[in-house]
Amino acid sequence: MAHVLTTKGLIERAELEVNDIITEEENARVFATEWRHNGELVRRDVNVNILAGVQLAGEQETM
Amino acid sequence: MANTQAICKSFRVDLLNGIHAFGTTVTRGGTSADSFKMALYLTTATINADTGAYTATGELAATGNYTAGGNAVTNGNAPSNSGGTGIVAFWTPSASVTWSNLTSSGSFDCALLYNDTNASDKAVAAFTFGTQSVTSGNFSLTMPTNDLSTGLIRIS
Repeated sequence: MAHVLTTKGLIERAELEVNDIITEEENARVFATEWRHNGELVRRDVNVNILAGVQLAGEQETM
Repeated sequence: MANTQAICKSFRVDLLNGIHAFGTTVTRGGTSADSFKMALYLTTATINADTGAYTATGELAATGNYTAGGNAVTNGNAPSNSGGTGIVAFWTPSASVTWSNLTSSGSFDCALLYNDTNASDKAVAAFTFGTQSVTSGNFSLTMPTNDLSTGLIRIS
């Protein structure tokens, strides 16, 4: 049986309720996974996908 | 042939490589690429375009497997450029920046990219991603595609 590391130590995967939450931010897509044991949040993972970086815009190549 | 006034295409990449110094610069220890880090900041912090260097103010507390100063950025991509008239120089870390078994000391929404080789830990850019919290879990910042339209740092 697979176990998941939580705030309460290792808990069997089957005992956990799992919810995936996807949110869209201005420049990122966020994937959060919440793990609950008897209704209590015992683990939360987050992956942030940066969709695009930042750009420093200068003069045109031909002035 | 004719001469044309222009910013040279190579100049943008040269900026990313620290080739030119129009003002007072620093003595470099070698020709290697600098080391960069990303630090995470609480939603109550003030990290923005005016941030000139890494600061511990407002950073996640050094608890729950977070280390002050943040984590190293994997730099396997040399700066490059592409495009025609609207050429863009760009650079992106070659891997995600990750924290394992992290419990954040509070809600956070920002990562600061800064130069860890520089004696003053000069800042590069701040990235926001909405309010997040992590509990005994993993946090990762997955980098965008390294090209002229989405690269993490772009100079046009």
